[in-house]
Amino acid sequence: MLDLSAPYIQRALLEMLLLAIPAGLLGSWIVLRRLAFFTHAVGTVSFPALVLASAWGIAPQVAALAAALGFGVVQERLERTRRLGGDAATGLLLVGALAAGVVLASDVFESGTEVDTLLFGSLIGLSAADVWLTALVGAGAVALDAGLRRHWLGAGFEPAGARALGLRPVLGNRLLLAGIAAAAIVAIGAVGALLVTVVLVIPAATARLLTDRLASLQLAAIALAAAEGVAAVWLADALNVGAGPALAVLGGAVFAAVAGATALRARAVPA
Amino acid sequence: MTGGAETRGSRAGGPAAAAGVAVRGLSGGYGPGRDALRDVSFAAGPGQIVGVLGPNGGGKTTLFRALLGELPISRGDIELPGRPAYVPQTERARLDFPVSAFDVVLMGAYGRTPWLRRIARRDRDAARAALERVGLAGEAGAGFGALSGGQRQRVLIARALLQDAPLLLLDEPLSGVDGVSAERIEALFAELRAEGRTLLVATHDVRQAAAWDQVLCLHRRQIAYGPPAAVLGAETLRETYGAELIVLEGGDRAVGVGHHAH
Repeated sequence: MLDLSAPYIQRALLEMLLLAIPAGLLGSWIVLRRLAFFTHAVGTVSFPALVLASAWGIAPQVAALAAALGFGVVQERLERTRRLGGDAATGLLLVGALAAGVVLASDVFESGTEVDTLLFGSLIGLSAADVWLTALVGAGAVALDAGLRRHWLGAGFEPAGARALGLRPVLGNRLLLAGIAAAAIVAIGAVGALLVTVVLVIPAATARLLTDRLASLQLAAIALAAAEGVAAVWLADALNVGAGPALAVLGGAVFAAVAGATALRARAVPA
Repeated sequence: MTGGAETRGSRAGGPAAAAGVAVRGLSGGYGPGRDALRDVSFAAGPGQIVGVLGPNGGGKTTLFRALLGELPISRGDIELPGRPAYVPQTERARLDFPVSAFDVVLMGAYGRTPWLRRIARRDRDAARAALERVGLAGEAGAGFGALSGGQRQRVLIARALLQDAPLLLLDEPLSGVDGVSAERIEALFAELRAEGRTLLVATHDVRQAAAWDQVLCLHRRQIAYGPPAAVLGAETLRETYGAELIVLEGGDRAVGVGHHAH
């Protein structure tokens, strides 16, 4: 049974509930704008930076932010100069970062548990500062979504005509990627660098199976991310594993169940 | 080089032409020395429909991008009556986006809706009216992806109607649409012309263009511009389409380029 009086459990629950806000709002855009691989890569490239941050004693979020920015710049340049296709560039940077992180970690850490924590998250590692930062990113996600949702919708729906509609597609895209990077960085503490998509993508992808309206998609994704997050804290505590793997297993199972149920219903009631 | 003389000819309309679109000596493309389109000069006044003809890769979409301000221009200049509305080919739109036909039409009001404000009631009413004009009032709540190709094209045209632009750029709006939609779209063109708007319509179909006011023939440069009767001769079409004398479109419609050319 979950010990609600334990401060680390309280912090973990609060973190998961706060994380559900950017996960639902931005996660819906990640799914609609097909940015899941980018999201995964932003989390992963921050892994070597987190190792270095740990070795040099600097704030992990600052290091992760630097890595995410560096990744964004290199990715954009590789794509713009057409030296490498978008997904191939992402894949290359992603495995490079993972390998660099493992090599660095073998020098920095004495045991593998710290590496596990960075990659898969931890319930006990969360600080009050982590929770505050997540709250800040959640507020930022609300503001970004309110200010830019028409730009994201118009440019995502049909890019060629976006400027003719009076939208700012390039600026909108950059701010969307920046918002996703910020959400990924605050998610790392709870679910780990390798598993940010379990909170930023899977709940929204599951909600997408259930609704055809943007507003209800975002609300359902927030609710699902919150419910799965709370359940994952319980599961992680019970099994003594990281919150990331617990959430991945739960999110995957819920997605499979919803996908199966909607497929069955579609067969029963042919459109 | 037919562009210059014919441009002067059609600009003889005087003040009326000044309110439409005017392009003078335009060349542009993807950086210095890489012009995708050269030497384009034409002018079309209010209430004129211009058929833009040319083979695939001939520069029709490139011209539209230049008019939308999205293409680096190496020479020449463009005079516009205001921000043009653009109607893309329906395949360019994402069918899996969670938007209804009404949502798509509302995008036409995004440009005049202030930051963080809701879309004005009068724009929502105008969006409903635009859907009615394209004959889709009953489909307002339907998902965009669930509509037929012709219906989707009409929704995108309704979006441009809501923009209320003096100049409309339509990229192959009649390609592969059903008969009902094509009829409705052509009737709308006549209404928009009567309202004094200028329409540039990219098409593969020479017969369609023959019914409009002006024809602009492009093949990486301007081949000809003028009224269809003057422009649509065998020589011009041969130059425009090159070896591609018979252009098949949408499977069921053979464009009569071959007949003109032989």
